[in-house]
Amino acid sequence: MKIKLIDIASARSGDKNNVCNIGVMAKSIEDYATLKQYLTADLVKAHFKGLIKGKVERFEWDSLESLNFVCHEALDGGASRSMRMDSLGKNFSSHLLRLELTISE
Amino acid sequence: MKQIRIAGAQGFYGDSPLGAMAIAMQGAADYLMHDALAELTLSILQKDKIKDPTLGYARDIEVHARTLYPIAFSKGIKIVTNSGGLNPESAAEKVKAILEKQGIKGVKIATITGDDVLDRLTEFKENNVELNNLDDNSSYYDSKFPPTHANVYIGAQKVKEALDNGANLILAGRVADPCLALGIMAHENGWKIDDPTTQEDLDRMAFAITIGHILECGGQASGGNAYSEWPMNYSVSDLGYPIAHVNEDCTAILTKADNTGGKVSRNTIREQLVYEIHDPTNYITPDVVVDLSNIKLEDVSENKVSISGIKGKPRPEKLKLCIGQHEGFVTEQFFFFSYPYAYDKVQMFIKAVKETWQKLPVQIIESRFNIIGVNGLHEDAVDIPNADELNQRSELGLRIAIKHKDDRTGKTAIAGIVCLGLNGPPGVISVPGWGNMNRAMLSLFPCLIPRELINPEVRYINV
Repeated sequence: MKIKLIDIASARSGDKNNVCNIGVMAKSIEDYATLKQYLTADLVKAHFKGLIKGKVERFEWDSLESLNFVCHEALDGGASRSMRMDSLGKNFSSHLLRLELTISE
Repeated sequence: MKQIRIAGAQGFYGDSPLGAMAIAMQGAADYLMHDALAELTLSILQKDKIKDPTLGYARDIEVHARTLYPIAFSKGIKIVTNSGGLNPESAAEKVKAILEKQGIKGVKIATITGDDVLDRLTEFKENNVELNNLDDNSSYYDSKFPPTHANVYIGAQKVKEALDNGANLILAGRVADPCLALGIMAHENGWKIDDPTTQEDLDRMAFAITIGHILECGGQASGGNAYSEWPMNYSVSDLGYPIAHVNEDCTAILTKADNTGGKVSRNTIREQLVYEIHDPTNYITPDVVVDLSNIKLEDVSENKVSISGIKGKPRPEKLKLCIGQHEGFVTEQFFFFSYPYAYDKVQMFIKAVKETWQKLPVQIIESRFNIIGVNGLHEDAVDIPNADELNQRSELGLRIAIKHKDDRTGKTAIAGIVCLGLNGPPGVISVPGWGNMNRAMLSLFPCLIPRELINPEVRYINV
């Protein structure tokens, strides 16, 4: 079964130099369990293809039913030297929400 | 129990003052906390300062001094801001002149300086102070780019001291954003924050920092930029900025002013909490390391959210120093192409641009071509539809960005492709006009510096 991330979560991303963090907030406790099980750091990194050059760390934030992905070397050198239109990575959140999770029945 | 009300009055240099004015007019806060300094902002301010040594502060304080401050002071509201940027003392003189012109008296302005170490980098080198890059451990002294600014993130102690001494307007330099709130709460509650000894000391500092973090981005905590509230069934043109009703016992209610747009909910606060945080158990600030992992947020009633459960750990040994470095310039230009054959025309245009640049005496270090509406924002992370489909689009945009070393290359490179308006594919529109200005390209060098080398100072100016 496929689940669209946008149906079970919201997201917000921001920058710290060349690091972009994407907070993913589950819509319910059940959705959080799904996120925890299926939304891995590897999946996030792969979804961005070449945009994230470094490692992706995943932090579980149970009290907020949220996962926080810290993406290293993700912003083309950092906002002030980036050649990208989205230099601050504000839309990393939007792009992540397109991801589809494959859930075992 | 004692309660104070702190409002997140500004989220960035250039934010609208209207949210803060609504709060001031209602007398809905005791303090307005303004954060004007993003990582990038100091580079912008440095450019101002080079042109005019009396500048280098966030210039929206001039607007605030005419519009917001008179209302705030008439209601007894105090203002704490890091808008002083690279020149807090000059900012204070400017604000003083504007206030005096309006006949306003009885304002004690405090400036906080000492975070700006641009002029001390040579001294650090001579004294063998290690400045190693937090990301790749390289030494700053091996860097080949000239510095544009160098500022240390400093803590709340001087904010507290200035308020203790009766200041009602604080213009600071690079005080770390959330530390502005800690300074306010330490002053109001008589907390000792420069040498916390007990877990209770650390926990209340961590609580104050968390309140500061929620408030520091203004409207982003109260319904702005919120996927969790999409489709956002509330007005955003009069968005109410966030206000924290903070109790002495380290509990608080997050809310906004009456009769304003926006929304304060567990979701909007949750979104702001995760923003620009890395490890939730170790949110590092100059004064305390915050553990947010057991934070408790609850919807209490409409536009009221309670917050508790925050723990503190001892502050880091060293302070963070961020040095801006001038790497070169970026020039950007947008072009638009209409149906029919929009995509083929884009491709032809790109080819012609590349051929033209090969013939011109320009050194382009890097170039980038994004198709607006296709891969403008997400670049290689998205799949590009096939050419047939794209040729059916009613229009496509093309963004060209180039990186270059000197400030003339951008103009030459764009001027060189002007002729494609007549010689190239049919119906090309350029926005804005032909020949955009180039902007400086800066890289940031983040490193740590021993605390004892940094001694912030407070000075006072009476209006």
